[in-house]
Amino acid sequence: MTVPESGRPTRPRLKLRTFLTAGLVLLFTIYSGRQVGFTISTFWEVWSNPLWEKFWPVPWEWVFDRSNVIDPLIETFQIAIISTLIGCGLALPLSFIISPLTTPNKPTYLVAKGIMNVVRAVPDLFWAKLLVTAVGIGAFAGSWALSIFSLAVMVKLFSETVDSADPRPLEAARAAGGRHTPAVRTGVLPTVFPSYVAYSLYVFELNIRASIVLGLVGAGGIGRVVEAQRQYFRFDRVLGILLIIFVIVIVIEQISVALRKRLV
Amino acid sequence: MICFDNVSVTYRGGVKALRNLDLTIDDGEFVVIVGLSGAGKSTLLRALNGLVPATEGSITVDGVEVVGASAATLRQVRSNIGMIFQTFNLVNRTTVLNNVLMGRLSAVPSWRSTFGLWPAQEREKAMQSLERVGIVEKAYVRASDLSGGQQQRVGIARALAQEPTVMLADEPVAALDPVTSRQVMGDLQRINQDLGITTLINLHFLDLAREYGQRLIGLREGQLVFDGDIADVTDETFQEIYGRSIADTDLLAMEPVE
Amino acid sequence: MPVAAPPRPRTAGRNWLIAFIFMAGAVWSITGLDVTLARLLGAPADAWNILHRMFPPAFNEVYQRGVVGKVFESVYIAWIGTLIGAVVSLPLAFLAATNVSPRWIRTPIRQIFNAVRAVPELILAVILIPITGLGPWAGALAIGIHSVGTLGKWACEAIENSDHGPVEAVEACGGVWVSGMRWGVLPQVMPVITSYWLFRFEINVRASAVLGMIGAGGVGAELVSQLVFRNFPAVGAVLAITVAVVLSIDALSAFVRRRIITGGGPTKNRNQEATADLTGLKH
Repeated sequence: MTVPESGRPTRPRLKLRTFLTAGLVLLFTIYSGRQVGFTISTFWEVWSNPLWEKFWPVPWEWVFDRSNVIDPLIETFQIAIISTLIGCGLALPLSFIISPLTTPNKPTYLVAKGIMNVVRAVPDLFWAKLLVTAVGIGAFAGSWALSIFSLAVMVKLFSETVDSADPRPLEAARAAGGRHTPAVRTGVLPTVFPSYVAYSLYVFELNIRASIVLGLVGAGGIGRVVEAQRQYFRFDRVLGILLIIFVIVIVIEQISVALRKRLV
Repeated sequence: MICFDNVSVTYRGGVKALRNLDLTIDDGEFVVIVGLSGAGKSTLLRALNGLVPATEGSITVDGVEVVGASAATLRQVRSNIGMIFQTFNLVNRTTVLNNVLMGRLSAVPSWRSTFGLWPAQEREKAMQSLERVGIVEKAYVRASDLSGGQQQRVGIARALAQEPTVMLADEPVAALDPVTSRQVMGDLQRINQDLGITTLINLHFLDLAREYGQRLIGLREGQLVFDGDIADVTDETFQEIYGRSIADTDLLAMEPVE
Repeated sequence: MPVAAPPRPRTAGRNWLIAFIFMAGAVWSITGLDVTLARLLGAPADAWNILHRMFPPAFNEVYQRGVVGKVFESVYIAWIGTLIGAVVSLPLAFLAATNVSPRWIRTPIRQIFNAVRAVPELILAVILIPITGLGPWAGALAIGIHSVGTLGKWACEAIENSDHGPVEAVEACGGVWVSGMRWGVLPQVMPVITSYWLFRFEINVRASAVLGMIGAGGVGAELVSQLVFRNFPAVGAVLAITVAVVLSIDALSAFVRRRIITGGGPTKNRNQEATADLTGLKH
């Protein structure tokens, strides 16, 4: 930057790199829009579609009938609980392996990290559909799928906490002659345990939502009812179910947030 | 000219920050305000430009009533009052020049300033402000990359860019080291003398107050307890204002060196 | 003189209670779902049965069917959806922030955010498909609407956590409210908010792949049809391509996010802060 007589600096030019990036992003956006069939008019078309009338009124007696909605909901709930337990349970040792701080040795670390990356890259319901094909329709497949999903999410979140844990107690445990696993157990676990529980609650929340949709691919729970009613074009029932789900999710979320606040 | 007439400010929760304050300040004066924390110094300045609404009384700036004024009137008044802050209040992630240009906000339509389309003459004024505080070579540097003293000078440039008639400074040097503090105080003094801008400065370093002030105002628990020429000020004056004897922390020169 | 050990603390009892609740919940779920030991042990075998039949993956066949294009379609859907969510949520987030808006504007908007966040994209798509018809637009809209909720909430928190100082400076200069937001708040929060947008994009790519399974465009439909025909090598190929694209996007996005965040300070702390924010565990 040359400094002219008056002492004022010259205005820096915008970098070519910035222009290129912005241009690329814009082009990509326009291209994506075309591919997706996006036009401004579609917003209005959606808004003014007469089909919305089929969503109302909501048949509440049908919704509150035990076998129609309540039982599948209970099943959904149970799927979420089991998946959280299995997924978060397995995630505890696995996170320690994934973290460079507490990993036992390099090859284990690399292999574990590689597998986790691939597992996380597969969309959660793909797992569900695969498992449905493998073990048959029903809640069992759903629990397995969500367990894998919970494991993946939990490992990602929790391992970052382990990464940033204070390494000194671990050093002390090792210096006192402890072997690897007991050293980790006493040196790192107590510090990170509150985060572990907090993250588990968060994953539980995610699982409630995920288990709702599992049924849409045949893996059990309320989703199956939604899919069935959708195919019969009974949108009013669909809306009823959705409203119930909505309330439940909000309630669970509030409880979870309150519990988490007391932990961290 | 600035007039405080029986002004009281009570915050929500019942704290009385200013009580029945009467004060007149003529154009071009260089006033230093001292008092303990919580004595009302900050409130006084902020009541002046309406950032804090006064609960009672009247405040006029160049004949315009500030208390109860409409939002548009307040903006008009504020555009003529420049303010610098203890924590500088710069926009960290953008350039020094953009920060100074904020002083010209009231001079351009909102859409222009929102999109950063400042007219050339406003840029010129901003540059001139930077020249006046001697920091123009940093015009395109990111604000957070500057030292504390330099950031405060940018703050002064921003206030100057408003072409104000009044300058308010709320503890401008509290976050700076002694050498830089004196530079900033010197700048403010020079601006007052060269441009005739009425200047009000809150300070808690008493030696600085005596060194640079012309008129001293002392506040204690929201009330005016001293108002006079700096020549008439002695250590006893400060003790009266503070209600206790002077401590080392009240003096800049005695600040512990790190 | 030896000192007596202190009595066992009361909290031990509370911990046992919590553990008991967990065990009870687990037992209830397990019996409810009819998860017998036999099925548990049999499951990995069933899964392996399918898994080994996916090798070698039938890349050629899948390439012929244009699966790669479908995977990219999922990406486009996610991009447009995230963009819609971002553009709509940003102004709303300002209106929803406590330090910006009065209560009667804030609360309804926050409720809208909550409502939209609680509905999974898949359910939204289920509702939208009869109206928009099958195809990518349903997916993009479903993702867009849901993203308004999550992005809105995160942006709102970022705005509330921002420093009020620069806004005060703008006010003191005689600027209007919009200028205060534009110059006082926006420069502070844009790096974090942009980073949230990218993170959401990563998640949305997966979501749009899933949406394909119910006909909202993208690669999901391919996966389902191959599974129905039990054409496992093709399934393997579809999975492999999907995973490859998702991983690449994750890596690219993580790179860009790091660059954005480090524009201002030491990397490690910022990322931790950002992660903590993302999981909502900050408070």
